[in-house]
Amino acid sequence: MNRPAIEVEGISYAYGDLLAVDRIDFAVAPGEILGFLGPNGAGKSTTIKMLTGQLKPDAGRIGILGMDVTRERSRVQARIGVSFEEKNMYDGMSGKENLDFFARLYGVDGFDAEVLLQKVGLGGRGEDRVKGYSKGMRQRLMVARSLVNSPDVLFLDEPTDGLDPVSSQAIRQIIREEADRGVAVLLTTHDMDEADKLADRVAFLNEGRIAALDTPEKLKLAHGDRSVRVRFRDGDGVEERVVALDGPDAGDELKEAVGAEELMTIHTEEATLEAIFIKVTGRGLMT
Amino acid sequence: MNRFSRTRIIGVIIRKDLREYGRDRFFVLVSALGLVMVVTIFWLLPDGVDESIAVGVRLQGAERMGALTAGTAAGADQGMEMVPFASAEELQVAVGANEGDPERELDIGLEFPEDFVERSLAAEVTTVKVYVRGGVPEEVRGAMTSFVREVALALAGHELPVTMPAVETLILGEDRAGNQVTLREKMRPLYAFMMLMMETMALGALVAAEVQSRTVTAIITTPARVSDFLAAKAILGTLIAFTEAILVMALIGALGNGLLVVVIALLLGAMLVTGFGLIAGASGRDYMGMMFFSLLFLVPLMIPAMATLFPGTASAWVQVLPSYGLVQAIVGATAYGDGVADVLPHLATLVAWCAVAFGAGLLILKRKVESL
Repeated sequence: MNRPAIEVEGISYAYGDLLAVDRIDFAVAPGEILGFLGPNGAGKSTTIKMLTGQLKPDAGRIGILGMDVTRERSRVQARIGVSFEEKNMYDGMSGKENLDFFARLYGVDGFDAEVLLQKVGLGGRGEDRVKGYSKGMRQRLMVARSLVNSPDVLFLDEPTDGLDPVSSQAIRQIIREEADRGVAVLLTTHDMDEADKLADRVAFLNEGRIAALDTPEKLKLAHGDRSVRVRFRDGDGVEERVVALDGPDAGDELKEAVGAEELMTIHTEEATLEAIFIKVTGRGLMT
Repeated sequence: MNRFSRTRIIGVIIRKDLREYGRDRFFVLVSALGLVMVVTIFWLLPDGVDESIAVGVRLQGAERMGALTAGTAAGADQGMEMVPFASAEELQVAVGANEGDPERELDIGLEFPEDFVERSLAAEVTTVKVYVRGGVPEEVRGAMTSFVREVALALAGHELPVTMPAVETLILGEDRAGNQVTLREKMRPLYAFMMLMMETMALGALVAAEVQSRTVTAIITTPARVSDFLAAKAILGTLIAFTEAILVMALIGALGNGLLVVVIALLLGAMLVTGFGLIAGASGRDYMGMMFFSLLFLVPLMIPAMATLFPGTASAWVQVLPSYGLVQAIVGATAYGDGVADVLPHLATLVAWCAVAFGAGLLILKRKVESL
């Protein structure tokens, strides 16, 4: 396995007496997308702030691309891209001016904003001021901004939050392309479906600690309940039966259910990440 | 240039800020209007001080007016201008009315009886009416009484019944007789301060916008550091405030005298208000909050500039205000031709206040940015 692009070892951070992040460890390989899931106050934002050099951990070590974030902050920041949950763009400037400004901060030579704007679906709107952009356009511009320095590591905080399905799909496509290019992506989201579709692995963060970290499939196998939902006609009404596949009599129950005279539908069902999160942490994502 | 060079990064942020500043129609308009207004008001104000006292006189026979003034110690060359009136009624109206009309305004009127000259010559008692506007000080009223007696003695051909003492007048400092510091000259520090104040608000708004929209967070996750952001804001604020202030001083002709002092004082003044602008920008939760904090600092800072408009020495508490040194240095240089050595104590105080305001501004903004 290649050396991880992101290496986190036992980092902690406290705001006064409140321990926001409590000795967490994880690693993200180049080309991997790690979904960081957790409710508000779980410690996601604090972790991202430490990883991007905005906060210095009270304990532990963070390595990005083999460099220590605390000691080599500027060198690390030159090779990462960050998309924030807040749409913190300069509203009075155009989309192109926003991208040009950040490209100059990174010291990117020969930067062509139009190419990036085309990539995120904002071609031809680069000269418009951001104050006139829709929410979806702003989010696309945020993603574009995180890419101005062709980063090796991407931190994306709720990149599709509140977007229409078409915009969400476009942004997911860009994230997948970047990962295919070898970029390590740390994605925080509330959207379990998005994490399921996009992330290679997911981490459940709860009360400052990682409660579980694995691929969605393995988490579902380890914590989820598989079942089959069978619907059949029973006289004038409709009957529905759910057969747990992991139960001791699963085979007999399933045989009985599908043997009904007027079978209507059969659906296999597997646990959602949200259900697993609740099972593992004892709380929902929106709490 | 090295892509991690602090100078390069600070320059990039300043260029962006200048672009944003130039697009803020409100502050561009306010700055331009402020400049035009200040310069217009300056050149409209009188460029001299009328040192003479106009006294209305009702005396039978206009030809006697010359004798009236020529024979007295308080003649026209002593700053007293006699204005003849045809009737006692007109004189009373002139003294009681026309307030605010410099052409017709009179504080004092003297109504001599028709037989004043004859009776004075005959050494007989006569009565002269002295009309005095309500606001005229007691000392001036007394002086007018003495003046009337002096006139009577002069007309009668008598010397004053006293032995005149020999008087030696020593002018300490520059002799300003006939060359008084005009109101518009006294207002120069106020004009400079008004421009500094406007630019403080512009900087405060720029900083507040960065903090509230959290664009500063995006900046500091690039190779730019918090210190680069702070340096860019401090340099831009000082640069804009200084440029505006020096421009207004040039347009009101205040750079001819004590140029070096004015430049140093305005540069320090620009740094002082920039420090307060950074505090206001970091402290306000929104635009109104920023305006509130700006005014909270700037109104007290204007007091020393206002104090120069009134005669006498400023109160002790005014002298400890941060802008006192700035005002005194500008007044000293532009009105009295003071050099750097003359205003050194004021400049030293200003430097100390600059360090305090600038340091506090940078510290508060740094903590704010780090807390986002």
